[in-house]
Amino acid sequence: MTDLLLFQLRRVLRSWEYLFFTVVLPALFTIFFTKVFGGQVGSGTEYQDYARTYMVSMMAYGGLGAALGATIRLSFDRASGWLRQLRVLPVPGREVVVVDIVVGMLLVLPSVVVVALVGRFVNDVRLGPGTWVELVGALWLGSAAFVALGMLLGLALEQKAAGAAMGIVSTVLAALGGLWIPVEVFPAGFRVVSELTPSYWYAGLGRGVVGDGGLVLPVLVLAGFALVFACGALAVGARRPLHAVAG
Amino acid sequence: MPETPALDIRGLTVRYGGTTAVHDLDLTIHRGETVALLGTNGAGKSSTVNAALGLFRPSSGTVQLLGRDPLTAVRSGGVGAMLQHGGLPSESRVGEVLRLVAGRYADPWPTADLVATTGIGGLLDRRTEQLSGGQRQRVLLALALAGTPPLLVLDEPTSAMDVEGRQAFWTTMRDLADRGHTVVFATHHLAEADAVADRVVVVDAGRVVADGSSAQIKSRIAGRTVRFGCTDRAGLAELPGVTAVRGTGDLVELATTDAEATLRALLAAHDRLPDLEVAGASLEQAFLTLTGGTR
Repeated sequence: MTDLLLFQLRRVLRSWEYLFFTVVLPALFTIFFTKVFGGQVGSGTEYQDYARTYMVSMMAYGGLGAALGATIRLSFDRASGWLRQLRVLPVPGREVVVVDIVVGMLLVLPSVVVVALVGRFVNDVRLGPGTWVELVGALWLGSAAFVALGMLLGLALEQKAAGAAMGIVSTVLAALGGLWIPVEVFPAGFRVVSELTPSYWYAGLGRGVVGDGGLVLPVLVLAGFALVFACGALAVGARRPLHAVAG
Repeated sequence: MPETPALDIRGLTVRYGGTTAVHDLDLTIHRGETVALLGTNGAGKSSTVNAALGLFRPSSGTVQLLGRDPLTAVRSGGVGAMLQHGGLPSESRVGEVLRLVAGRYADPWPTADLVATTGIGGLLDRRTEQLSGGQRQRVLLALALAGTPPLLVLDEPTSAMDVEGRQAFWTTMRDLADRGHTVVFATHHLAEADAVADRVVVVDAGRVVADGSSAQIKSRIAGRTVRFGCTDRAGLAELPGVTAVRGTGDLVELATTDAEATLRALLAAHDRLPDLEVAGASLEQAFLTLTGGTR
């Protein structure tokens, strides 16, 4: 399985768009918005609060983008006929799915860690050493919900739709989930919509870890989303096997 | 105890929604044979091949590859396949894909020899997106051969190749057959079937309509077509060699097994034969002959 895992990791990492949107962009946002708006909020504590919250949001943005980007690609492999090809090689279909899930989970780490490093060393966010580890760990595990969503979309969508979904889904989830602009400034009606997105709760998980809110609710809601997406992916996968011809 | 056949298909029926692609098809291919499944597009060749490889569960019937069920045979490296809709992964190099696949077999074909046999020497560092259609097919062949499979199943393997590529490909296939590999391939080119296969199975409308040596099949279907302008069709069917009378409007098309005799008789009976043409029968026409024009 290691051979397939390394093979798949290398493929994803070859895509510069992937690295740009999942690692570079969230890191740049973290610096830019914190420097621009964080500088205006004034005093030390207020700056800390702003910088910390924004960093957590960007870790969530990077993490969900990485999870989705790495898994929706499954659709491309179906379209190219590679999944079908694998079916007539000694590579079990179950292994292909497991490897894609592992790749999705692994690739979340660079996004989350890089934004955390930028938060710590560029924006001077202060957290205890244990909290840093918990924050990265929580957002890493929480990304499972988006890995599941990515698998669902990758299995369900055709190549073109999947390509579009990669950018659109993470953008919509980030915007509605209040990752770019905090939900506090949303109109009341919008906040309800926000609370229906998994991304809101994903960032909420991070906020909970750094002490800006409860932890239990985000954990439960996110686990619920992960379960629903995973069941959806299983249902679609059963209806449309990996090796089915595209279209 | 006789050796188990390389491929044993019994009562295979494949239905897609309301259409039946394969009707109760039986086919046994013994080890060491080189067999062409010859048929027009939509004849049921791909459905047969895909069901044989276990890519989907047939509506009824059984398939055994090397005495085992298709999935087990594929997993154990006993079968190499080139699919019509198979492909290579994006964002990867040919050499990487080959290494991944070869590493999965207990007894892989030695890489240097495999690369030479399939003629992909210059392509190993190439990105898969940069391959031409023919190069792609050769890489897919290398993947199919990576496990030194005793049985090779190829679905229209030369469809994306130019003439030169085709020739090189079939030379490789003949070498493989000589080395004892069982080769089964689907094609709609009579010439390919004739050049490579020692047995030709003609499939039409999901049924086997002829099965024999290449020479036998050719003698049955390599008829000629005599075309000419004529309004009166009386007596044409009785001319020597004629097996069918077709054509539209003023144009008559005679299918014949003996073009010379047919022509002599025609010329004796008619003063004029405008637009006279004698051509080799196309596969379509050959099938009409084989199926008695009942399609």
